[in-house]
Amino acid sequence: MGNVEVRALDGVTLNIEKGEFLGITGASGSGKTTLLHLVGLLDSPTTGRIMIDGLDILHLTDYEKTMFRLYKLGYVFQDYALVPDLTVMENVSLPAMLRKDRTEAQVKKDSYGILQRIGLCDRKDHLPRELSGGQQQRVSIARAMVNRPDILFADEPCANLDSENSRMVLDLFHEINEDMKQTIVMVSHEDWHKEYFHRIVQLKDGRIMSDGINGTKAH
Amino acid sequence: MGKKELKVAFLLALRSLQRGSRSSTILTILIIGMCFTNMIFLPSMFSGIGQGITKQLVDYETSNVLVSPKSGDQYITDLDATLDLINGMPGVQRASPQYSKGATFKYRQRVLGVSVRAISPLDEKEVSPVYTKMVAGSYLGEGDTGEIIIGKPMAGDATVRQENEFQPSLGGVRVGDSITVEYGNGYMKDYRVKGIYYTGWSPVDNAAFVTWTDMEQVEGKMLDKADYITVKAKPGYSEQFIKNELLAYGVGVNGKVQTMTDLLSKSIGKVLQSFAIINLVSLIVSVIITTVVLFIVITIKTLNSRKQIGILRAIGVDKEVIMHNYGFQVMILGILGIILGIIITLVLAAYMSVHPIVTPEWSAYLYITPWDLFINSVILFCSAVVAGYVPAYQVSREDIQSAMRA
Repeated sequence: MGNVEVRALDGVTLNIEKGEFLGITGASGSGKTTLLHLVGLLDSPTTGRIMIDGLDILHLTDYEKTMFRLYKLGYVFQDYALVPDLTVMENVSLPAMLRKDRTEAQVKKDSYGILQRIGLCDRKDHLPRELSGGQQQRVSIARAMVNRPDILFADEPCANLDSENSRMVLDLFHEINEDMKQTIVMVSHEDWHKEYFHRIVQLKDGRIMSDGINGTKAH
Repeated sequence: MGKKELKVAFLLALRSLQRGSRSSTILTILIIGMCFTNMIFLPSMFSGIGQGITKQLVDYETSNVLVSPKSGDQYITDLDATLDLINGMPGVQRASPQYSKGATFKYRQRVLGVSVRAISPLDEKEVSPVYTKMVAGSYLGEGDTGEIIIGKPMAGDATVRQENEFQPSLGGVRVGDSITVEYGNGYMKDYRVKGIYYTGWSPVDNAAFVTWTDMEQVEGKMLDKADYITVKAKPGYSEQFIKNELLAYGVGVNGKVQTMTDLLSKSIGKVLQSFAIINLVSLIVSVIITTVVLFIVITIKTLNSRKQIGILRAIGVDKEVIMHNYGFQVMILGILGIILGIIITLVLAAYMSVHPIVTPEWSAYLYITPWDLFINSVILFCSAVVAGYVPAYQVSREDIQSAMRA
């Protein structure tokens, strides 16, 4: 069994437009997360090319990839992935603090601004464990957005949330997409999430089964 | 690695220590503190013993420079002229001769073999602090005859039965008592005990002192010879300077001139070498323990944080920042542990200066110099940094996917 080749993705060609809210759906094991990790520079394909803004990102060095993720990409994970020892404000500020083009004052202003937008200014000095799951995910979104990335990747961001909090998080994504023209690529396996996407790519066994414009809430 | 990255790494390190497991942090600091104490305690104690022996040798045996008979001679002859020469030289505070003679002391039913040392009390007071160590009675005066001062262990204790004594004594001699002394040449004389002293230096505490005049009576002639002459240097003058002066003035013709350092290298040089080996072993063991403990602590920390490390790398935190985060943590733990170790060591040193470990031969206290504290701190800090950075380097290089799946 150990010698059998398993192709997590096979023959996938995908263009993502600027400002698009793209949903990647499919059954468990269909390759959704693998696709997200590849385009999000968290993993490398065995063959193929990934171009972002005309740049072949697979030819970047390890350090350049790290900087590319810092400056150009934002991530939201299903388990929030906040640093438990940092406060909400510190968690949100962390990626901005590493940018060479931001002063300390700008970092503070941007972090406070994004916290205001997600409605968690009053919890800025709290630790993640003192927040509910929904609040933690909103902080995670704020952290991903603080550097105003070109693309925001979200890997099943509502997987650990109840429906009320899920809707709150999805509304926030929708708002960011609408107001800031933020490109969002989100993985989900929940049917009702589809209403938020502009476009839905459905995967099955590592191949694209369908790729089409969605005609619901997003439009 | 820029200033911003270092700042973020330091923030992550600080917050991890502030808000992470307190018990683990305190335990790690305690272990480092104990390792530091272990590193410095034994060497400092040996240094203390060495310093104690050296001080006692200088105070009670050799002073700064010792003039002894030339090889083949039994005594330094032409004593008066030699003393005049030495005392007139620059840098010499005082020269004091000693002449010893074996004798048997008789007190009530007790008989004890003792070496009686003849001294010139005024000269001796400038060279040796025995006069400050009187526990009963008083020190000898220049013109005293028929009077003797003896060591406390030799005087003994009347309340201790002879079979229970640690060493043979006269069984409880007190000031004013009379002792019969029979010298090796058959001369017998009764002495009144003028004083009893206790220095803690066994060879002196088991001897007795009489005046030069008294010894001349014993010998039945003027004493123009000595077993040795101890020479005390004035403050600011080195032993070597005095030795060179003595040799230049021709004292070497009449006797052998040695500094205290010359004598120490011969007498306790081997002992000090053995101490140095034990100190080195103790230092290496402590450094290994600290390195291993910190390596384990940081390895466990990094393994428990693998997922978080993966996330941090995913959001664009460079692996150098992650590595320095753990590096800073171990530096902070190291500094706090070293501070704790210094406090423990200084408290122990203060306690032992009041309550030294006392044996009949020497007393031990902790002899710690600022250099000892500095160099041990640097060694421990460096080993801590190495122990922290190795696992941090390994985990920061891990593939993001594997780390995030942990």
